[in-house]
Amino acid sequence: MSKIIASCKDIVKTFNAGEAEVKALQGITLDVYENELLMLVGPSGCGKTTFVSVLSGLLHFEGGSCELLEKNIATMDDATLTAFRGENIGFVFQAFNLLPSLSAIDNVALPLTIKGVQRAKSLTRAQEMLNAVGLNAKEHIKPSGLSGGEQQRVAIARALVHNPKFIICDEPTSSLDHKSGQIVMELLTKIIQEKGASMIVVTHDNRIYKYANRIVHMEDGKITKVAL
Amino acid sequence: MFRVAIEMLLHDKTKYLGLLIGVAFTAFLVSFAMSYFAGFMTRGFALVSENPSAKVWVMDSAVSSAEATINMSNSSLGIVKGVKGVEYASPLYLGDMTARYANGHFQSFQAIGVDDATLSGAPKPANLLRIPNSVIIDSGGTDGKLQTPIHKKDMWAYNGSHLNAATRELRYGDEMLINSKRVVVAGVSHTIPRFPPRPLLYISTSNFKRLIPGEKRYITFIMVRPAKNISPQKLAKRISKETGLKAITSNAFKKETVMWYLINSEDVGDMVNMVVLAMLVGFGVTGVMLYMFTYENIKQYAVLKAMGASIKQLTDMIYTQVFIMAVVGSGIGVGISALFGEAISSASFPFRIMWFAPFIGFLGVFIVSITAAFISLRPIKTMESGIVFKL
Repeated sequence: MSKIIASCKDIVKTFNAGEAEVKALQGITLDVYENELLMLVGPSGCGKTTFVSVLSGLLHFEGGSCELLEKNIATMDDATLTAFRGENIGFVFQAFNLLPSLSAIDNVALPLTIKGVQRAKSLTRAQEMLNAVGLNAKEHIKPSGLSGGEQQRVAIARALVHNPKFIICDEPTSSLDHKSGQIVMELLTKIIQEKGASMIVVTHDNRIYKYANRIVHMEDGKITKVAL
Repeated sequence: MFRVAIEMLLHDKTKYLGLLIGVAFTAFLVSFAMSYFAGFMTRGFALVSENPSAKVWVMDSAVSSAEATINMSNSSLGIVKGVKGVEYASPLYLGDMTARYANGHFQSFQAIGVDDATLSGAPKPANLLRIPNSVIIDSGGTDGKLQTPIHKKDMWAYNGSHLNAATRELRYGDEMLINSKRVVVAGVSHTIPRFPPRPLLYISTSNFKRLIPGEKRYITFIMVRPAKNISPQKLAKRISKETGLKAITSNAFKKETVMWYLINSEDVGDMVNMVVLAMLVGFGVTGVMLYMFTYENIKQYAVLKAMGASIKQLTDMIYTQVFIMAVVGSGIGVGISALFGEAISSASFPFRIMWFAPFIGFLGVFIVSITAAFISLRPIKTMESGIVFKL
């Protein structure tokens, strides 16, 4: 059996909306394995994004425990958690979240820039990643000059540039047409196979289920089904 | 990350230009208003400035400005001259005189009586005051107040005043009446304009006494030049101690005069209020604009934080952006203020850039910018990075 990369037990997360209390996660228990592409699916508001936010240390949780790469993220302070995230996690967002002021290559190099890697080195590495996602001729173009599919490929290159062990993708294909979505998923699958990383993909898009090793269904803050 | 911060700042050219204009306008407003105020105050001690050789000024102990004065006894000049270290002492007589022009109009002047022998304190060519009954006139920062009729038929007419007669500027040879006594304009000077503006009339002591005979005390100030072996400060102290009169250096007298205006002049008080109000409005607008700029970019900071950027890195980025805005904006603002001020001061508006005007312009903008950055850091520090999934 593959090594466990992330292990969450009985995660509880509650939001307070005025006087109303919303239980976003109600005892989620889930392991993610090395080299696994796990898809998290379910209706809007079922807690998928909240769960990946908790798992990546972007959101605090009230109950349960969560270990990522053998570190208990509940006990880390904010600065340690931020540094840990910068070192080990790559993000791909639904809205790409590229910095509009930076060129494609500078966007890709951002995680390395944040880590303080020398500019020349980070640009070389970013160029490699752009080549890997098939954008070698567009390195100096800003996001506004790229199509949606191209922007998502830049975002993927950015998520992988620092060789993270864990990648979180939030609706990576929802802003893309079918063809671009398939290209992006093939790219992600290929890259995690090459790099040996694990990946959680939050999605509504059943056209990409075929790329998953496991599909976890969620509803009302609970896991309802795990399909292989 | 500095480069990223700068790219973020410069990315939206319209927003950047708007911010730059806002910051520059504030710096301009502050430095211009302060320079304008300094210009007025400089005019307030014009009498001291136009006598640079008088390093020490002696006056009645109750006097604290060049504006509100009371005269000393006529013997005080001799007493001051007797103090060791006084190389040279010359009296100055200040008074108000009302002159009747040839067409019947009248005008109040500040009369400045200078020593007959030395004519010290009179504008050049001071020798003109040696002509009998002569005066040198000066607009003193006023406009159109030194007028006499163009045509002879309108001058001293037997059938009364010709108040509506066409006029021209007074010049050499024109006559006026002061206390029903004839005086002749021997020259028109252009000394430092006064605050408040008023026409000036330079006159010799003997002429002064002839025109205002009833006064018992004529000496308003004694201008002193120290001997080479004593500093103005020391001599001022010595004169005060030995004569009981007030003696201060010219620089101290200028400062006292400014303070006197600040405390006693309602006009100056109103000006100060306006300057402060302009500064507050400018600073407020700048602060809000800078805050909004950072707040509008919060999404990008959230993304950076999610990717591992520490709070320190984000803080440094924001301070970098604000610092650049403050330096460039206030540099432009102060520069425009200097150029604009230079242009209007040549048109005889009061404008004087002193060290504190650009300094306060820069400092004010910096303080406001840093405060705005500090406040705008709060939502960045407290934001849950999880918002990146909702952006």
